[in-house]
Order: sequence, then structure tokens, then C-alpha cells
Amino acid sequence: MGKTEAIVKKGKTLGADEIIANTVFGEYRQSRFSNNQIDIGVAWNDFTTNVLLIWKKRVVTTQIKNFQNVESILKQLLKLAKVSQENPMYGGVTQDKFKYAKPAVDKAIRYVEDPSKYIYQAIDAAKREVGKDIISGGVLSTKFEQVFLVSSEGPEGQDERSGIELSIRVFSQRDASGHGVECNSTLKDFNPVRAGEKAGEIAKLAKNPRAGKPGKYDIIFDPLFFGNIISVYGSMGSAYSVLIKMSVFANKLGKKVAPEIVTIQDNPDKQSVNHRIFDEEGAAVKKTAFIDKGILKTYFHNTSTAKLFKTKTTGHAGIVMPIPWSLEMEPGNISKNEMFKEVKKGLYLTNTWYTRFQNYVTGDFSTIPRDGIFLIENGEIKQSWKQIRLSDNILKILENITNISQERQQVHWWLEVEPPSLSPYVLARNIQITKPE
Amino acid sequence: MEKTIIDFCLEYARSKNVDYAEARAVDTNNEEMVLKNGFVDAYAITVDSGYGVRILANGGLGFASSNKWTKQEAEKIVNMAYKLAKNARRRDKITFLEEEIVNTRWKVKQEQKIEDISSEEKIKKLLEVDKVIMSQKINVVARMLTCLTTLTEKYYVNSEGSNISSFVPKVNVSAIGITVVENGKTEQLPFKQYGYAGGWEAFKRWRIEEDLAKEVKVLQRLIREGKVVKPDKMDLVCGSEVTGIACHESCGHPMEADRILGREMSQAGRSFIYPGGPFWIGTKIGSDLVTIIDDPTVENSYGYYLYDDEGVKARPRYLYKNGLINEFLQNRETAAKLGTRSNGASRSINYDMESIVRMANTYLQPGDMSEEEIFKDVKHGIYMHSFTEWNIDDVRFNQRYVGREAYLIENGELTTPVVRPTIETSTLNFWMAVDAVSKKIVFESATCGKGDPMQGSPVFTGGPMMRLKGVFIK
Repeated sequence: MGKTEAIVKKGKTLGADEIIANTVFGEYRQSRFSNNQIDIGVAWNDFTTNVLLIWKKRVVTTQIKNFQNVESILKQLLKLAKVSQENPMYGGVTQDKFKYAKPAVDKAIRYVEDPSKYIYQAIDAAKREVGKDIISGGVLSTKFEQVFLVSSEGPEGQDERSGIELSIRVFSQRDASGHGVECNSTLKDFNPVRAGEKAGEIAKLAKNPRAGKPGKYDIIFDPLFFGNIISVYGSMGSAYSVLIKMSVFANKLGKKVAPEIVTIQDNPDKQSVNHRIFDEEGAAVKKTAFIDKGILKTYFHNTSTAKLFKTKTTGHAGIVMPIPWSLEMEPGNISKNEMFKEVKKGLYLTNTWYTRFQNYVTGDFSTIPRDGIFLIENGEIKQSWKQIRLSDNILKILENITNISQERQQVHWWLEVEPPSLSPYVLARNIQITKPE
Repeated sequence: MEKTIIDFCLEYARSKNVDYAEARAVDTNNEEMVLKNGFVDAYAITVDSGYGVRILANGGLGFASSNKWTKQEAEKIVNMAYKLAKNARRRDKITFLEEEIVNTRWKVKQEQKIEDISSEEKIKKLLEVDKVIMSQKINVVARMLTCLTTLTEKYYVNSEGSNISSFVPKVNVSAIGITVVENGKTEQLPFKQYGYAGGWEAFKRWRIEEDLAKEVKVLQRLIREGKVVKPDKMDLVCGSEVTGIACHESCGHPMEADRILGREMSQAGRSFIYPGGPFWIGTKIGSDLVTIIDDPTVENSYGYYLYDDEGVKARPRYLYKNGLINEFLQNRETAAKLGTRSNGASRSINYDMESIVRMANTYLQPGDMSEEEIFKDVKHGIYMHSFTEWNIDDVRFNQRYVGREAYLIENGELTTPVVRPTIETSTLNFWMAVDAVSKKIVFESATCGKGDPMQGSPVFTGGPMMRLKGVFIK
């Protein structure tokens, strides 16, 4: 804390109007595996202070990695501010005093000596589902971060953040696979077997897939797939995305964007692998209703964007732009099994990747389902499919949701589900599926 | 960078029972400015410096890194990498192929040194670009421009005796979310990138102002005159940008040997090419006109390098050659498994990431036709000059490209702008349909994603104009 405070004091002495220093001492560990064996163990330690400095509404930032020449870095930063230009959109950083929650860290994660045992537990669980001849791959990651934040405008805080995640993909045949993830902020709640079982169960069902048929289908999205869709909504919910027209939510505040059963909020509390107690300005984070009973309630704000939209920061300041931390969708009132019974002819899609847009204002996009793709007829899985693409509109999916499951799962996976989310099974009607010609 | 710490890492690693060890230090000096809707939103400077150690021991691999430059920390990092390698306990032991020992220094020359360009000049240049976009008398309701300059110094040593130093300056400009609205209709350029290895002279070569001014005019014309194509089989002429993305996605990626062997299976996926499968070296994958090269040594290219991050000399790789699958992208590990040599494709984006098999600059070899000749023979077709939405499945076989700037071709002439024509097809059908390739080659810049944690790697895509005969467009 002392070093972080010293950076802020020095910055003020040198002439900064406002300065925030956010120091992270991070220890990250990873084991990557494929073909049922560990490919590489990776460890990286990172010591970084992110500095946000403002001089006469000129916004400059840096990352200090070498703490021996802090003064010269700050001088350089201030010099840069003086030659930069005023940002008329800059609206300050928070000056409020906050009482932060207690950090939700699990120190046991820091001392995980041999993470490979969790990988083998997951592989064994998958084998129990499918049989011994599976091929599996994935990654197990742990993080432990100590965070110190000091703002010249008042906020000061210390946080500790921990997380452990497993992602496992299981192949029962060359073109039949399932994917399971398990992520938690504490070791005691981390259950790698659950991920292995789910990946194995899907991989088993996915055997002998046939080429899919194009058309409009009612679709049940698995929590992993819908985590990808939620992360798109979250990214588009940033006020910054709205300002640069990379969002379908521009001019929709207070308007109905989904049926009443849909509530999506940001909640970086203790169970999330992205838990935290304050944002990069030092504003306390809190549960923020983004879409509440189908109505777009707010964008995600830092102090500057909040001023532009005549509201208050929502505690989502990233280094420059506001970002969601950990999204969650409120559960519905039917079980997953009951949801399947609601589908006469449709698809159950378990995972996706490569979500890309034609136009972020209109929301036209496509994404490629991967792992288990299943045809549902009269509430039952009838066939395993492959080689399809979901090609529709991201707002339409939101509008066409008819059912949300009671069951929810914490999901976070590579770039595709980022930030993490607490995601249910979701049934959306009349969605366009295409296939290669 | 303290080279003595790196040399110590290697010597200390060698004192253990290792099959192979390497230490790699990277210093980067970055400046990035963000111009949002005409104003400098933020300006960032980052000076980063750290090192990573990779050890192969007992058939397992371990990698550890830090940005703390002390001998005590270095010792800890080596111990950690060694322990991680030993902990792997693999049934199939990993081996690395021995490669030629290299002792060299190399660097990319700059005509106009980035270090000599003041921050004011950089801001001024980007504001000029923005001014030109806004002077077109078109209702551009949003736009973001970023400019990133990087100076990267590397020092690499390995247990075979290689010792390589390098210095690479790069410039990158991105245009994001350029949005035109007219009569309640919106068209958008989601993302366009310009990359260059070299100095500030990049701006003279790119002519970004002209290019982005043209882009907003295209978006306006699309709103005013754009027609929807009637789905049917027809000829498709791909501009360099479309040729390039197809080369990258459906040739470069499936030809990465680590993917072929399954190492990326849970993230970026596998490949339609695999041992014992229907596609392997020598299999037909395209027409005779299809030769796709990945060449890190293209001067001033965004993916430029002379030695990879395993100390292996870079060279052009002929991935598809005359329509046949020819040569995979290899590192030391995959080459040993597949009984061949590394072709220098191992790259890492920083000191804290392991090096993995990557593309550099992937392009279609030019043919012998003029662009006029390519259009002349098309009675009814589409010219897709550039693309917007695109994606491909995780074995790199089922792909889709949606046109951004596209026109109808009628009797050899470009006529009406077409709104988002789409080709959704397989890798085999795509490349087998190529029946004409132009002489002129144009490169585009991109950032390729792979690895976990994600390593966004600078690359060129591109190539000549090419024609696909009788493909389904919707």
C-alpha cells in the first residue's frame, strides 16, 4: 500500500490534478492438457501498478512494472498529458468515500501445489460417462492477486482476489465432443468432477452426428452457450460501447428489450472468479440491474460516462472505459427437464465460439455452435447434429426468450465467455440456423 | 533488460537435469492513443520488461516468468519451470528437435524513427485522419481511431548454445465502429487495421485518410443504392481482403501442427487435417491455382521476424501448393512428433507467454491475370471487395464471409452495390472453385488469436484478387 500511496503523492506533487494508482501483485498458475496428458505447466508472477493521471482534462495512463524509476515515469506521464488534448467527455473520477465489503479471497488457492490432480479427476469423471477411450483436453488455471488502490480524490482500498477454473473438452469420436467448465473463487466449492461429467455426458450423446438442416428452430441454450450471449449483452451494455455505436442498446434506456421474465445484472460478489470489492476508480462495486424484468435499466458507467448520461457511476470503471465484471441472469420457474418438454421441434445447443457481427447497431451476427448439437422432437433428444451456424440477430434472441431454467451455472471460458457469468438454460423461439453449401 | 540475469537463468537451468532449456527476455516500450469521436480520449505509455524460462525435463514442459529483475527471483523462476516440467508425468515423453545453433543480432530498420516522433506529432497525425473522414459531408455518427507504436527488444538464449538479440519497431492503427446513418438506416465498418514493421514512414505507405474516406463513401452508397442479392449459384470475385482472410482461416490455421496434433483442442480447436484422416500432406484441397504461402520474411510486414522464439531461422512455408496440402507450420515439439524439421513458426507475444505455433504473413501466390480479365468473363456474379462478419468452425472447414463493400457483376461490369452478400461453404468447396488469380498482390493487417491466455499475434493476410466459379451466394 505504501508504494501505491507514494506514487499518488508524487504524482500530485509533480502537478497532476487527479491521479489513481492501482497495484496488483498477481500469481497465476496454469496446466494445459490435451490427449489426456499434461502438455505444459505455466507460472507467471506479475507486479504492476496501473496509473491513471489527469491534468486539465487530459487523460493519460501507464503501467509501472519497474519501481526503481517511478518519478521519471510520472514526469514522463505528466509531460505527455501536457502535450495531449483536453477530453471534453472527461467528467472526473469518484470523490465519494466508500465502505468496502470484506475481500472474498481463498488463500488455499495460492498454495495449490499440484493442480494436475484436478485435471485427472475431471478426465476420470468423463471416462465414467463415456468409456475409457476418450480424448480430452483443456486447461486448469489458478489466480491469486493482492490489490492496492489509492486515489488522490479519496478512495483507498485493499482487495485480495482468488480463482480456480477448469475447462475440459471431451471427444467420444473425432466429430463428437462435449465441453464442461467449472469455476469458483474458493477451492472448497471447486468440483472438477462436475465439469468432467458434463463434458462426458454431452460427448456420449453427441456420437454419430449428422449434418444439420437449415431453418428456424426453437433453441435451448446450455448455460455455457448462453454465457457467450450474455457476455455480448454485457459488453454492449457498457456506456462506452453505446457512445461509439458498438451496441444495440443505444437509445433504449427505459425501454422494453426483452420479455418480463428476463433480468440480467452485474454482480461481482464472492462466488465469482472475477470477484472484487472496488472498481479501478475505487468506487465500491455492487449488484447492478442492467435489464430488469425486460426493461433496459442502466448502462455500465464510470464517473465520466455517468456524467454524460446524467447519472451516477455504477462502479464499473476499467482503466479507461467502463466494463461489466460478472454477469448473472435471474433464474426462471421451470426445470431444465420441463424446458425440454416445451419444445416440439427444436435444438439443444451446448457451446459456441466465433461470435461475429455485421453491424453492432443492428445486432446482425452469426456464431458457430460446437460440441453437442442436438435435434429435439416432442421434448426428447432425437439426433446429434454437426456443421450448423446460428445466423440471426442478438436483440431478437433476447426478445424471443420464452423460458428460463431454475438451474444456473457459473461459466467462464477462454475468450468466448468473458466476463464470467451465472447462466441458466434459456429457451428462445424461432431462431435462424444456416449451414454450408 | 539485464542480460546477465538471462544468462544466469540458462546456466542455472543447465545445472539441473534438463533435456532443453531456454530463457527469453522482452523489453517493450508502447505508446497508444485513443481518439473517440474526434477527441483524444486517453493516451497510454507502457514500459514493460521481463523474462520467461522454458524447460523440458523428464519428457515434460514447464514455463515460468516474472518482471522482477533480481537474481533471487530468477532462481525462483527457473526452479518453478523445472518443477512444473517434472510434475507433468507424461506417458508419451515430449522431445524437442535439435536445430542449428545461431548467434546473431537482427533488427528492423526505420526510415523515420518512431523514437523521434513526438507525442504531439502522433496526435496531430491521427486528428488529420479523423478530419478527412469527417470532411466527406457524410453523417458519420461514431468513429474511434487508435494508434499504437511498439518498440520490442528481445534477448534469447538456449541450452544448445544459441544466442539471439533483436529489435523490432511496429506501428498499428485501428479504425473501430465507423458508423454512417442516413434516412434512418445504419451501415458500419466494425473494424479495420493497418500494421507495419518499421518506423513512422508507415503512414506514407498506408494512405489511411484516403482509405477511410473511401470507406465512409461506400457505407453511404450502400445505404442509398444497396440491393439484396437473389440467392443462387454464381461466380464470386474476392478482393485481396477476402482472399486474405480465407487464406488465414481455412489454410493457415488448419495447417498449424500443434492444432493437428490436438494441443489446442479445448480452445481454438482441432483441424480437419489429422493423422489417419482423409486429408494429409499430398491430398487435394484446391484447384491447381491455389498456392498459399506463410512467409515471416516479407519486409515491413506486420508479422515480420527473422528468427522465431525457439531460435529457429524463419523462411517461407508453402502450406498449400498447386492445390495440394504441402507443409505444416512447425515448432521444435511438433516437428519431433511428426518426424520433420521445425520451420520456425514458434512465436510468443511477450515474455510471460509460452511460444506456440503461429502464422506470420499468409497469402495466396499471385497468378497471371489482370483484374480486368478476371471480371471480363463473369456474366452474373458478385465482387466482394471486403468483408464484415466472418467465422469458421473449430476444425476450420465450415466458414462464412459476409461482404462489406460488394457489387453485382453483370456481363463483366461492376454495377449495383450489394448489401451483405454471403458465402457459407466448406474449405474444400471454396478452394476447389478458384479458377482465376490476379497478378497484383495487396496485403492487409490483422491480429490473430490463439493460445490460453490469449496471444493476439500481428500478421499480414492478403493476396491477389481471385475468382471462384459457380459458388452459392445468398
